[in-house]
Amino acid sequence: MHQPLEKQTVTPVVENRRVMRFELLMDAGFGAQKAGEILIRAFAAAGVYVYSEPVIPAEISPPRRTPAALSGAIIRVADFKIGNIGNHTDLILAAHEILLETRLDDGETGPGCRILLDVGLCKSNAESYQRVIDQVNERGYDLVEFEIDETSAMLIKSLNSGTNLYYLGILTCVYNLKCELVEPEIRKVFCKLPGDKLSKNITLFYNGYDYADTHIDYRTGIAMAHSREDQILIDGNSALSAGIVDAGITFMSGYPITPASTVMHTLAQDFAAYGGIVHQAEDEIAAIGAVIGAYYGGTPSITCTSGPGLSLKQEFIGYAAMAEIPLIVIDAQRSGPSTGMPTKTAQSDLPAVVFGRHGDNTTIVLSVADVDDCFYAPHVARYLTEKLKIPVIIMTDFQIASSFEVVHKMAVAEMEAADNIPDHVLQRFHIERLPETIEMVKDNQAIPGAPDGMRRVSGLNTDASGEIAYSPASAQRSHEIRNRKLHAVRYALQEPEIFGPPDADLLVVGWGSARDVIHEAVSVAQSRKLSAAGLHLKIVYPLPLMLADIFARHKKVVTVELAYGDALKPAPLASLLRMETAMDITSAICPATGRPLTPRSVLMKIQEYLCEHDL
Amino acid sequence: MNTISEAPAAVAIHEGPRDMTIKSLAIENPRWCPGCGDFGILMALKQFMVDKQLNPADTVHVSGIGCSGRTPNYIRSYGIHGIHGRAIPLATGLILTRPDLNIFIESGDGDSLSIGGNHLLHGINKNVNCVYLLFNNELYALTKSQSSPTTRKGHKTNTQPTGTYLDPINPLRFALGAGASFIANTADWMSDHLAATLQLAAAHPGFSFVHIFQRCPHFDPNAFQHKKADWMTFLTHENGVTPEKRLAEKAGVREHDHRDLNAAFDAAEHFKSWFGIIYQNPDKPRYDEILRAGRDSTPPKPRSALLDKYLI
Repeated sequence: MHQPLEKQTVTPVVENRRVMRFELLMDAGFGAQKAGEILIRAFAAAGVYVYSEPVIPAEISPPRRTPAALSGAIIRVADFKIGNIGNHTDLILAAHEILLETRLDDGETGPGCRILLDVGLCKSNAESYQRVIDQVNERGYDLVEFEIDETSAMLIKSLNSGTNLYYLGILTCVYNLKCELVEPEIRKVFCKLPGDKLSKNITLFYNGYDYADTHIDYRTGIAMAHSREDQILIDGNSALSAGIVDAGITFMSGYPITPASTVMHTLAQDFAAYGGIVHQAEDEIAAIGAVIGAYYGGTPSITCTSGPGLSLKQEFIGYAAMAEIPLIVIDAQRSGPSTGMPTKTAQSDLPAVVFGRHGDNTTIVLSVADVDDCFYAPHVARYLTEKLKIPVIIMTDFQIASSFEVVHKMAVAEMEAADNIPDHVLQRFHIERLPETIEMVKDNQAIPGAPDGMRRVSGLNTDASGEIAYSPASAQRSHEIRNRKLHAVRYALQEPEIFGPPDADLLVVGWGSARDVIHEAVSVAQSRKLSAAGLHLKIVYPLPLMLADIFARHKKVVTVELAYGDALKPAPLASLLRMETAMDITSAICPATGRPLTPRSVLMKIQEYLCEHDL
Repeated sequence: MNTISEAPAAVAIHEGPRDMTIKSLAIENPRWCPGCGDFGILMALKQFMVDKQLNPADTVHVSGIGCSGRTPNYIRSYGIHGIHGRAIPLATGLILTRPDLNIFIESGDGDSLSIGGNHLLHGINKNVNCVYLLFNNELYALTKSQSSPTTRKGHKTNTQPTGTYLDPINPLRFALGAGASFIANTADWMSDHLAATLQLAAAHPGFSFVHIFQRCPHFDPNAFQHKKADWMTFLTHENGVTPEKRLAEKAGVREHDHRDLNAAFDAAEHFKSWFGIIYQNPDKPRYDEILRAGRDSTPPKPRSALLDKYLI
């Protein structure tokens, strides 16, 4: 058992701390993400805090030099711990003008943004280049045009790749990173490349560096902010995968779907060494069915999916609640409805997980705010589902799933049984240990192999003996017991995490990936003497009983969430909170853009509300 | 909670204490209609369990929805009465993680070949170790007579009242086409033949597909001439199933080598009237064994160092 961690305190985000954000944009299939990954690793190795977001088209290789081909990495670096992608971009390196124009149109570039534009294709596309350069100038951005040197261009041609390494060299120079930190990361990321190819790529990296050294005079950077000791660089889905192993789960079944697939990829590599099995099922329904079958057999199991797969899994989620078989489902949310935008982030699945099944719903919904939560969510999910025999859904999203963060290495729990869960893990999710005994609909909960426990489970209503029952009394009894299990969670829920003064005029509420954005915005608001506080929910359903009392301390309560809402239709979290508290809660920020929330937009809303509503 | 059991099963059958009787396997009275063929299947299933003294505590019956889906509720063993068409996924999770258990799947024609068709295709292809009983009464009965994928053309139902539009799917051809490693054809009214078929199916390592014609006297009393035998042919082989005594005299008998794939395809064309073991290939690789072997041959790592590979 590990020492409980101290309850997280709010680190003030001082506005004059060093933080910057840049983007590397290339056509899909040319390795922008790989170059980005190397850079992130090198920054982390240099003691800088990073948070990154991949820009990925939903297709593999869309036509080059079209907006559809936009691919790349958005990287935020700081000298303090960051958990969101920030407000705006300070520098863009673009492989050509079309990609640059596409990102300029997104409106995420900040004042004084610097543009490094590869003009190698300018001659054959003079008009188009001129149009975009005019836009850059109109915005008053600082434009640096550059061209890959001739030797390198020949080398790239012969390799049919390597432009990304050249750009990596340029960015290394511009951001004052030491080549000695970058080169080992190149070798790590490209460890499968044959030796001669690797050395040519490394040559291109140094050529890019040298080019920038002599031709580009802009330099910036961030000083070392953390030691390397016990620091890890990890993305959300890798942290979830590791958490699954640490929680003692030994069976995972899934079906390929973005952005959940990488959990299955990681476990397909690692799980066997920890006694686990990965089953790639024939479809989403089969994937969850196998998990329920395995859990009925006593094996802690999990499935992982995204929106469309979640819709397909709903019947089985309801079944598991009825049959009282433990079940853990991860939903990596993406922009919907339907296929929507598979590589864009959203928080719009909340109603689907809370209310998405026919009949009376009894599920527990956890959400994750950062990679630490990703690591510990499977522990909590296992504890709750095995204690209560109610499905637990872990909600992540594209942003958390695919973003890298630098964090202190998490303390492993090496869970054997559900009751082994360390206190600090429960504390992290603001829930107390459940009562020792929980009443079940069916008295007998034996696992196959136990000679005295032979039992049948069914999706049909049953009485306490487990036999099929259609009487009014037995149906009412089953509903009451299932809901009492949920109530046990309600009673165990502690006050959620609150940032800022408990009596601030305005309270900004969010869940999942909104945490760090709210935290950052509220911290700045406080430093500007604005009367605003933040509240973050990790367990989103059921909700803590004291929530209405907390809300009552504030003049106005609003939500920020990445799900559609408007004046006539509150966004999902706002709707849920209105329903649960009967209070006039509105959604202050509820975009359906597929882009992450930004601290600035939250801060501006805070100012606007405090002003307009005369709070 | 247990974690995944260690040793993969060497044989398909796990025997228990030899004190089981038909009576000791009974629980509540089945809620099927009088004369339903499901009674015959249930009796043969119990007879087989008694004959093998199959330990019911190590046995799980998994089913979907429909009249057939109720079967697990009527046998004193472990059981999962699942959702419509999805018995195979539930069973697959158990088979992969609990090789120490005997797994039986009971599924109807709609459950198997309509809503659950995809799972049947992949259950067969993955060849996971279980006995699959397809109860084919040629219609949806529990929802009160609708056309199913195996309803004969022209038969009037509530959804196709002028007569079912299409020819039925041939379940044996489907299973053979999907690469099944064991296929048998039998019927609810031949309890000895059915029990003997189950013996061979359970002894087979892999997905044993047992197609069972089942009477539905309530909605389609004329589907099968079960009192006559002149339309039936029993397939025999030294390693096959003996023809049902009561019917053998008047039925045709035909020697059939169920290791011969071409002969099996020919026999499958007569799925309405030829009974016996259609096909067997004991060497087809099993997905469940492959996954467990992959896990068991991987050098273990301690969870204490789980996150070390992410160190900066």
